[in-house]
Amino acid sequence: MLDQFKSTFKEEAYELLASLEDTFLELESAPLNGELVNAAFRAIHTIKGSAAMFGFDTVSRFSHEFETVLDLCRSGTLSISKDFIGLALKGRDYLRRLMDFDEPVSEEIQAEAEPLLERLKDFAGKASPAKPAEAALSSGGGAGGPSEGESAVTATYRIGLKPSRDIFKNGTKVLSLVEELVALGQADVFPHTEEIPGLAALDPESCYCWWDIILTTDADENAMRDVFIFVAEEAGLKIEKLADASDAAAKKLGDILVDRGAATPEVIRAALGTQRKLGDVLVERNVVSRQQIEAALVEQQHMKKVQERSEGAVGSIRVASDKLDSLVDLVGELVTLQARLSRTSFDLMDGQLSSISEQFERLISQLRDNTMSIRMLPIGSTFNRFRRVVRDLSLELGKECELVTEGAETELDKTVIEKLGDPLVHIIRNSIDHGLERPEGRAAAGKQGTGTIKLSALHSGAYVLIRVSDDGRGLDREAIRAKAVERGLISAGQEMTEQETMQLIFAPGFSTAKVVTTVSGRGVGMDVVKREIDSLGGSVQLDSSPGQGTTVTLKIPLTLAIIEGLLVRIAQEYFVVPLSTVDGCIEIPRQDLSAMGERRIISYRDEFVPFILLRELFGSGDGEEGEEPEIEQMVIASAQDARVGFVVDQVIGDNQTVIKPIGRLYRDVEGISGATILGDGTVALILDINRLAAMVQREGAKGTAGAAGAI
Amino acid sequence: MLDNASGKVVSLEGALTVDKAAGLKEELGKAIASSSLVLVDLSSAEDMDLACLQAIYAAAADSLGRGGRLGFRGKLSSRIARRLAACGFVSAPRERAEGLEDELAGFPRAGA
Repeated sequence: MLDQFKSTFKEEAYELLASLEDTFLELESAPLNGELVNAAFRAIHTIKGSAAMFGFDTVSRFSHEFETVLDLCRSGTLSISKDFIGLALKGRDYLRRLMDFDEPVSEEIQAEAEPLLERLKDFAGKASPAKPAEAALSSGGGAGGPSEGESAVTATYRIGLKPSRDIFKNGTKVLSLVEELVALGQADVFPHTEEIPGLAALDPESCYCWWDIILTTDADENAMRDVFIFVAEEAGLKIEKLADASDAAAKKLGDILVDRGAATPEVIRAALGTQRKLGDVLVERNVVSRQQIEAALVEQQHMKKVQERSEGAVGSIRVASDKLDSLVDLVGELVTLQARLSRTSFDLMDGQLSSISEQFERLISQLRDNTMSIRMLPIGSTFNRFRRVVRDLSLELGKECELVTEGAETELDKTVIEKLGDPLVHIIRNSIDHGLERPEGRAAAGKQGTGTIKLSALHSGAYVLIRVSDDGRGLDREAIRAKAVERGLISAGQEMTEQETMQLIFAPGFSTAKVVTTVSGRGVGMDVVKREIDSLGGSVQLDSSPGQGTTVTLKIPLTLAIIEGLLVRIAQEYFVVPLSTVDGCIEIPRQDLSAMGERRIISYRDEFVPFILLRELFGSGDGEEGEEPEIEQMVIASAQDARVGFVVDQVIGDNQTVIKPIGRLYRDVEGISGATILGDGTVALILDINRLAAMVQREGAKGTAGAAGAI
Repeated sequence: MLDNASGKVVSLEGALTVDKAAGLKEELGKAIASSSLVLVDLSSAEDMDLACLQAIYAAAADSLGRGGRLGFRGKLSSRIARRLAACGFVSAPRERAEGLEDELAGFPRAGA
């Protein structure tokens, strides 16, 4: 029983440490955010307590020291600097490493803690006594905030603070008041400085600034007003409640401007009609100032963050992932059994049985969709891991780099997400190491010193497109060509398209890096990426402009468990073409095909499409010439951004395909990605359309009889 | 970030409270009249109120109007760094003042 508790503790600790990493990374850019400091403190506090309870003494001792320093941050006596975050991340990594060992932990591993503890103590030693305002600022729990364990309702407020011109004259320190106000919760603050005149007109004792503040807090309105209790009249305070935590929603820019009374709905509608950026149009038409637009955007971003956090807090239960895998396996078995039932009812021509089979099919279909949806996870969980990669690598390489993510909410099957992690790390590391220039190089190229890596995900049919873009120097095609010739991958005079040249970087052992770094330059990486993505049934596309940057696009199937397939027959063998790749089906008389000889290209929807005879490729029906149909059927599929035709004997129809792995013996057979069991118990092989398309293109549409060997 | 080799340096010291704003206004006015590049050295400044910050904004606008620039240099006190961040003038506390002119919210700068 104790082992079970220990395993549950470890599972929870892994999750806490993962979220702790995200918290530290967020704190790096928002070191004043008291809520984040509290979250980090709570995570370490929980780990410490649970570790002590289950006998993980080394974890508990280290957490205790860590907690002590975080407590200093919480009370405001220790400022959070970049250095501190670096150390905190290392401390977190050490704890993560400790979790992999059982007690007693070896002395060698324990010794790794010493330098970290020393540095933590150094930081603690540097802490200075807190001033009240600083303490409140860091703890995020100033006047009006509930104490730990006390429940309170969190809400978001729009606060306008427009002090009177004379407010300085009674000795009011306006900045201190703003600090005190924002310490009540999580705030985004926009100062308006546009009314500050030139020196000649400036009265040094007049206040010209005002603020738009969006504050999410569990303090009530009175607590906010209390901050200004002695200057209530001069503060020009206006507080509007925007939303409670549970109903927070990011509004459109136009709606925010209308809410703020900056524009009327009619003006917004007219501006939207121009099909240009709303903010630009409104500023051009002098409806609002640029500052008003920026302040509204700050509000929009704040509400988006609150909304995301509130959505993430939806009730959930923890289920071990192997239980989920078993459930999917069982649903797969049910789908197969249902196909058999459907087939049997058809063979028996029994109306009652057919009716039951159809109802059963509907239920199975719903069960399948629900089960698959449980396995779907937002890809953002993986994106967070890359923040750390980008941070550490840019520090190591002396490059300034920012990671921008988009589409973190895009969902993918958990197995696919797990397998995507390493390829994406490879791509991002390559982008930073090879793609981004050093700050001096960027300055010379007229770029901002900080490079950008953009990671985005979006749905596209049965696929998810994941893009990693950098704004670096772009791929050097000449260097790629030269290296490929040097490595014997191509001949010196070989003609290649730009895409083909760029794809050479995926060749095993290829690298154009002049210097081997610890990061890249060993020629290991991009070929592994390609192999991993291929194994997921996906594809990799490269786009690059010299001096502008490079984009790597991964096209990944949504799931690897059950797919919609198109069942086809060749001789007595059955194959499944993933339906998501199918563009259409056409019929061609066999004599027309024969007349084409080796020139296997047809015209399809005004496009020349190369095709392949799967009967020849797989050696199906050898010696059974008479079985070839008079009218052949061709499945046109899209792969690698091009169409390819596959000639089969018969297109049978759609098929719920439960993907089963193929045995080790068949793993290297080109053109096959898996297998499935049909309703009558026969096995159908699932075609790897990407590989087959590549084969067709390689062979110049001449046909490749026997290229894959008989199966 | 401005090259600080050739500019006129205005060094600020101690707590820059409202009572020092008038003096600062005058000093900055003289500096921008005498040099197209003015650098405000914050390494000895411990704290800063809004009144002095406004004076620096005003001087930057005047300098820009004359075709010059106003920038910053020196180590920032943690008090000033935190205050600027908490009040929304910069996104996060920074250790040094160099380049502050490019980050301060609404700060007068060419092309803005």
